[in-house]
Amino acid sequence: MPILPRYLKSGDTVGLVCPAGRMSLARMRTCLRILEQEWGFRVRRGQTLGAGDGYFSGTDAERAADLQEMLDDDSVRAVLCARGGYGMTRIIDLINFSRFVRHPKWVIGFSDITVLHMHLYAQYGVVTLHAPMAAAFQQGGWRKPSVRSLHQALTGHVYQYASPAHPFDRPGTGQGLLVGGNLALLAHLVGSPSFPRTEGNILFLEEVGETLYNIDRMMRQLLRSGQLERLAGLVIGGFTDSRDTERPFGQTAYEIVRDVVEPFPYPVCFGFPVSHGPENLALKAGSLHRLFVAEGAVLSDLSEMPSPRQQSGRKCR
Amino acid sequence: MERGDFLQQMGWLLMGLLPGWSRGDGLWRRGVLPPFLREGDLIGLTAPSGAIQPAEVAPAVSVLQAWGFRVQLGETLGLQDGSLGGSDAQRAADLQRMIDNPLVCAIFCARGGYGVTRMVDALNLGEFRRHPKWIVGFSDITALHLHIWRQTGVISLHSKMCGSFPAQWLEAPSLVQETLLSIRHALTGHAVPLACPPHMADRSGLAEGPLVGGNLSMIHTCMGTRSEIDTRGAILFLEDVGEYPYSIDRMLTNLQRAGKFNQLQGLVIGGFTQMKKELPGEAFGRSLEQMVLEKVPAGFPVCFGFPIGHQLENYALLHGQRYRLEVTEDGSTLEISVPG
Repeated sequence: MPILPRYLKSGDTVGLVCPAGRMSLARMRTCLRILEQEWGFRVRRGQTLGAGDGYFSGTDAERAADLQEMLDDDSVRAVLCARGGYGMTRIIDLINFSRFVRHPKWVIGFSDITVLHMHLYAQYGVVTLHAPMAAAFQQGGWRKPSVRSLHQALTGHVYQYASPAHPFDRPGTGQGLLVGGNLALLAHLVGSPSFPRTEGNILFLEEVGETLYNIDRMMRQLLRSGQLERLAGLVIGGFTDSRDTERPFGQTAYEIVRDVVEPFPYPVCFGFPVSHGPENLALKAGSLHRLFVAEGAVLSDLSEMPSPRQQSGRKCR
Repeated sequence: MERGDFLQQMGWLLMGLLPGWSRGDGLWRRGVLPPFLREGDLIGLTAPSGAIQPAEVAPAVSVLQAWGFRVQLGETLGLQDGSLGGSDAQRAADLQRMIDNPLVCAIFCARGGYGVTRMVDALNLGEFRRHPKWIVGFSDITALHLHIWRQTGVISLHSKMCGSFPAQWLEAPSLVQETLLSIRHALTGHAVPLACPPHMADRSGLAEGPLVGGNLSMIHTCMGTRSEIDTRGAILFLEDVGEYPYSIDRMLTNLQRAGKFNQLQGLVIGGFTQMKKELPGEAFGRSLEQMVLEKVPAGFPVCFGFPIGHQLENYALLHGQRYRLEVTEDGSTLEISVPG
């Protein structure tokens, strides 16, 4: 049974942290302004904001301590990770989640933060928000559907996202807990205690800046490790800025994915608005969803429905 | 426990009762050595990963012939499917034919690139278990070494491939000749100990255990699969090419979190060459030595700068063979451990 943190209302406090890569304060300014002035939240600023002088926003210990404090501070109702990059796996085992599990709150982010989402799902069943981070607020981004969807999801709006038809779509209906995130990070979690159970679940994937052969390699890893066999459904987001090698791989990212899951019966939708691009709708990771693919796809948030385990789409086999 | 793992463990239990399968330090088996090669033996050349033209393997063929071996060219040489040396089915079939052909004594992978993990689960290793033979290669072929070791316990050869053979042997630098001759020596049962100069970050000590590993990216991409590396009681060796430093750190962190460093006997770090350039201001700022040492527990020797990898200094190593690693302030040696 997924644990759904309490939704936010105006006046609640959002903690802003930088648990992975370094980010300048200047690039967070819009995000801070919108959180406080437009959305009416209070913001608690973590020690790691604008901190660090190299790759990370502080040492592993500093980043872990900052995140720990936000997770344990009862006045903070949501923890927004300002940026991904790389660094979450280095500190995830340093965090003590015992207080957080008793007093769950929303954890928000994507990309490298996939590690945190999937760890919280795999270990504790706490629902998290896979959603845009601070940079997405800039240059009017906060007015666009993606950042607005974060505000809506955070304040209790139950969503139903539509995605346009794609020629590779495979029709059908599936229901299960929504797990996934960034493909590279998921592949990097295989074998670790943070890897999510995919059986009976809806898996969603997005990727950025990877070489095509490596996308194929990671998809094959998920396939070979049995993680693609018994899904309730598969949601493929943007595979933006994919690169090729000197000897062309000969397939696009979507062709790779299509071929890898070809043997399986579950519904698949391509081009879903979750990505490193401007289209990145907030998703409740670890929570019950229904995927309907026909002419286009609809992903429905069923988090208000009871007993998801009994209703998960394991019958699809 | 998965069915395959269960059967495998039952298999080890049974094999523990057979001579030649004594389980080393209580836990650790000795690998199965394929028969060493003799003059006139047949070596099969195949492309299980990236595409390669017959002309590109010509230098290797003439050197192998000059060493007294006969060479059979597989059907995948000259095939191309995108960057792959033929379709998955074609590459698997070519390799399978060589595995099942009793006349082929060694299977030389023409080049790496990418492709083994796309078809390795399609291989039938029944005949290979009964009649083990040498599998030769590195880089992407690491997945094949890991798979063979995990599924059959057969020792294989981690070494240079066709692209490293010079067109004119006599004019080749002595280092090229020496590293290529290490293949011949290993295949004929005359592997020599390897030495490595001291490195500032080395951790001294003595270790013994089966040598497993190879390309870090491939080890990483085999996690969770039927080819997953087993590092318990082992000496692990790692190399990689063309990765971002942060990516190397991420892969090492994954191995650490999966417990792969916990029961090591020793660690051998080879070349991490052609690391990708980072964007200004995005420099990872950690040396390879820092990345490694902050993740591995104390209690076993670690040696850096070992002559394996995507570099000229890439000597042949027997994957799965029991080795003895000695790291001292004067340098390191890695040699086959003599049973006794």
